[in-house]
Amino acid sequence: MDTLHQLLQGFATAGTPVNLLWALLGCTIGTAVGVLPGVGPATAVAMLLPITLKVDPTASMIFFAGIYYGAMYGGSTSSILLNTPGEPGSLVTAMEGNRMAKNGRAGAALATAAIGSFVAGTIATVLVTFCAPVVAAYAVRLGPPEYFMLMVLAFTTVSAVLGQNTLRGMVALAVGLLLGVVGIDQISGQARFTGNVPELMDGLEVVLVAVGLFAVGEALYAALYEGRVAETRNAMGRVHMTREDWRRSWPAWLRATFIGAPLGCIPAGGSEVPTFLSYATEKKLSRHANEFGTQGAIEGVAGPEAANNAAITTTLIPLLTLGIPTSATTAILLGAFQNYGIRPGPQLLESNGALVWALIASLYIGNVMLLVLNLPLVGLWVKLLRLPKAPLYAGILVFATVGVYGMRQSAFDLGLLYAFGLLGVLMRRFDFPTTPVVVGMILGPLAEAQMRNAVAIGEGSWAVFVHRPMSLVLGLLVLCVLLLPRLMRLFRSPRGGGAAGPGTPQVA
Amino acid sequence: MSPHGRPKGESLSAKYEGRPVSGRQALLASGVAALGALTLTGATRIPSQAGYTGVGPNFVPLLVGLMLLVCGVLLLWEAATGGLRDMEQPSGSMHASWQPFAWVSAGILANAALITTVGFVIGCTLCYVLAVRGFRIAKGPLGRATWLADTGIGVALTLPVYLLFTQLLAINLPGLTSTGWL
Repeated sequence: MDTLHQLLQGFATAGTPVNLLWALLGCTIGTAVGVLPGVGPATAVAMLLPITLKVDPTASMIFFAGIYYGAMYGGSTSSILLNTPGEPGSLVTAMEGNRMAKNGRAGAALATAAIGSFVAGTIATVLVTFCAPVVAAYAVRLGPPEYFMLMVLAFTTVSAVLGQNTLRGMVALAVGLLLGVVGIDQISGQARFTGNVPELMDGLEVVLVAVGLFAVGEALYAALYEGRVAETRNAMGRVHMTREDWRRSWPAWLRATFIGAPLGCIPAGGSEVPTFLSYATEKKLSRHANEFGTQGAIEGVAGPEAANNAAITTTLIPLLTLGIPTSATTAILLGAFQNYGIRPGPQLLESNGALVWALIASLYIGNVMLLVLNLPLVGLWVKLLRLPKAPLYAGILVFATVGVYGMRQSAFDLGLLYAFGLLGVLMRRFDFPTTPVVVGMILGPLAEAQMRNAVAIGEGSWAVFVHRPMSLVLGLLVLCVLLLPRLMRLFRSPRGGGAAGPGTPQVA
Repeated sequence: MSPHGRPKGESLSAKYEGRPVSGRQALLASGVAALGALTLTGATRIPSQAGYTGVGPNFVPLLVGLMLLVCGVLLLWEAATGGLRDMEQPSGSMHASWQPFAWVSAGILANAALITTVGFVIGCTLCYVLAVRGFRIAKGPLGRATWLADTGIGVALTLPVYLLFTQLLAINLPGLTSTGWL
């Protein structure tokens, strides 16, 4: 009952007119960001990070969370109507949804995506409400060795599981860790890799790296390679689901929620894996298997969209209770907390309980807002898709500048922004994942501190990581994540190819 | 994203046999290895006094340098033996178009160079005007000049943001004047 009481207080905080306005603003910007190509939730949150200088923490976290999950709703609109997934979690929706749209069933696809997102998002929020305090209570008992191992696990899953290729994931992670090291070392006070440039003493801003890699990188890439890509847009039709559509959708929503929610919780997050798993499940279970990949099956939209939303909602559990981000956006949210001097972790519920509960309450409210924004008002967002690319990308560049410059008012940072844009182009062209860079950069210094504390606890001996059972188990888990896929590849006969497993997006 | 999703599971040697060695990939791999070597040299300059923690501030830099160096060598090996594994075909055209890239780059860099002297609104408008021209050139032959309209849109985009920051959020941005209004 204690949880419910605190949740009610959270509603009281989140329900004040000002905070409701922030939530609405966040959801609206989030949906727009999801619909538009060229910006994702991570970029948008990063660009708006300067508001943390002035706005109070509760309001800005409600605002950022609105952008985060609003983008997941909006992402389905652009992937169904344009077949250009606005963000990676919508890759699968783009496959089936676009086929449905080509058959004149865009309306049904949009409806099942929005309602499914609502159902899954709300169930996942209930999970966050009741699991977060439990996890936090347990996490209090973890010491530095366990934390370090958890972070290593997060590094491994983010770089080895999410991308196509472990080696390139590792390179991206190493680059992120290197960027995180730049600046004054928190423990010893030594300057590292600053090259005596005063601007580098404080370290690099996440905003700078994320906006450079994602927004500027995307814009430069578009200018270099994508100028002549022709687009086809599908007609929308009426947003409506028949009785048959409902009957086929709701089991898919529920199944997907139970696939997505647990996967979001564990530090193996990201929203891609659950969507692929849900898609595979629906394809196997459906009595309309022939519709998959041909005319478009509604289960193939309903499932992945719900899984996507369930997973991104529950990524808040490791973020809030352990301080471990598992996606680019949660990494930047962690950066936002740090700007306020707040450290997410097991103590957060006690030290900043009011903020956390207001944030969770705002998730319930935001989901309702997004359902309204995305069903009756979907026509508005469709208009956004007509924006011509040239002014859109140029506008994104301007906002990228604003975000980065607003943070530290340094023209030097704008030069660095361009350099990270070039890095982003290179990484995209050679198929390197970019999420590990951001996660490594944010989580790296925290992991380093935990590691040094752990070795101090072990009185200079590294054996401390093996002697404590929990840390040993986590260490073995890291080895499993790294080695299992390789062993499976070795043992599997060479003919088993062709199945669309997680990690091999085959988008037509 | 690419139409050529490859089935997994066939043996690597069969898949990559006979493909030409990619010079660009080898260059990239060498770059990663060089970054690793550079990181390692930089790390040796960081004092290693460990203090009470037992691990010095140079430990993670050394580790990261080593990681980059090893990954770089592995990438180089991959590039030399048929190309990077599991590559997703990059989206868009095969060849880079450098002219739009130059315009967009000029926009960003001009802004970086001038923002402190000409102020936020003019700097960002300049960035917008140059970049939008680049993106238009990327799309195809330019129609009639749209400098004036672009400048108008640029100002309409940046002025509200500037006022939002300086007046509402009270965050200082450089202006042409020091009034906070332009």
